[in-house]
Amino acid sequence: MRRQEAIGALVAQRGNALTITTEQAIGAWRAAVPEPANEIPDHLDIVGCMGSASTIGLGLALARPERTVIVVDGDGSLLMQLGSLVTIAGAAPPNLFHFVFENGVYETSGSQPLPAEGRFNLRQMAAAAGYARTEEFDDAATFSAALADLLKSRGPVFVAIRTMAEDGHKVRSSAGTRLDVQMHALRERLVG
Amino acid sequence: MVQADAVALPVSAAAIVSELLRLGISHVINVPDTHQRTVLSELARQSQINVITACTEDEAIAINAGLYVGGQRPFLSIQQVGLLAAMNNVKGISMDARIPTCMLVGYFGRDVSRPARENAARAVSLIEPTLDTWGVPYFALESPADLGAIERAYRRSLVDLGPTVILVGAPTAP
Repeated sequence: MRRQEAIGALVAQRGNALTITTEQAIGAWRAAVPEPANEIPDHLDIVGCMGSASTIGLGLALARPERTVIVVDGDGSLLMQLGSLVTIAGAAPPNLFHFVFENGVYETSGSQPLPAEGRFNLRQMAAAAGYARTEEFDDAATFSAALADLLKSRGPVFVAIRTMAEDGHKVRSSAGTRLDVQMHALRERLVG
Repeated sequence: MVQADAVALPVSAAAIVSELLRLGISHVINVPDTHQRTVLSELARQSQINVITACTEDEAIAINAGLYVGGQRPFLSIQQVGLLAAMNNVKGISMDARIPTCMLVGYFGRDVSRPARENAARAVSLIEPTLDTWGVPYFALESPADLGAIERAYRRSLVDLGPTVILVGAPTAP
């Protein structure tokens, strides 16, 4: 499926979740919502700390157990901090939903293939780490139809989404991101 | 046993945890540090502060950010070599995103008879110069008389909206 199709389903069904995107998902999410960059409510675009989207999400999920937290990660990003699967499973936040786009490449830097691409399985790693539920999708319609049920599950939930490699390296989709502005605006909304 | 010529003396874990409780710390995120073994044991004996164990210091800094944004009062306990390993997130999260990140950092492998900068081990002697280069404020916890460093470092992180480090000079006592 195309990344934009999966993002469209997540945006449509996110409810009042706190949402976090990273790398190439940032541009796709921005294209799917009406607000301009850095002004999307209850949302963070994570840049400058590759691999940290899910553990920032873990902190948020533990801090705000009454809110659903959706993290949209990438396979290359997750591999940067693969131990985070175990850290998240250990903390076991029931409200954390970890979606990982698997396109098999480092798209931002020019679509170089991941090491051992095609020979590892992130979903199985997440299950072995101890996530409460893991799923895998490669079809947009099936993913969209399953999403409502997934988001009702007890977390942490890991969802691998197989997407086709696109041409994200031609456009720096995270350009203009101000993580400091987003973080402090979100804290203000949550804490006052 | 404390060396007679030691320049760094053990600080009581109970006193450190008492400080954290007094400061209203909600969570301690740790990657276990040999130097702070007794602090971790003391934390395990209480229930007011939530303890989260991370696999890496990068993760610990990211979890700290999420907790802070969500309104909590987190604090980190790590080892100095882990701090070196996590400098990308010190920059990308603590500095660039302006997140208070107060870290209790053990000087694993330090010869306590010498000031840290004069230690033969680079893992010890290069820490303060590294923090100087990055402009990260640091505070010495070289003896029980330095216990106030914890509050100074924590408050500085909140005011500066950035990282601060408390360097634990000697292995902590029970």
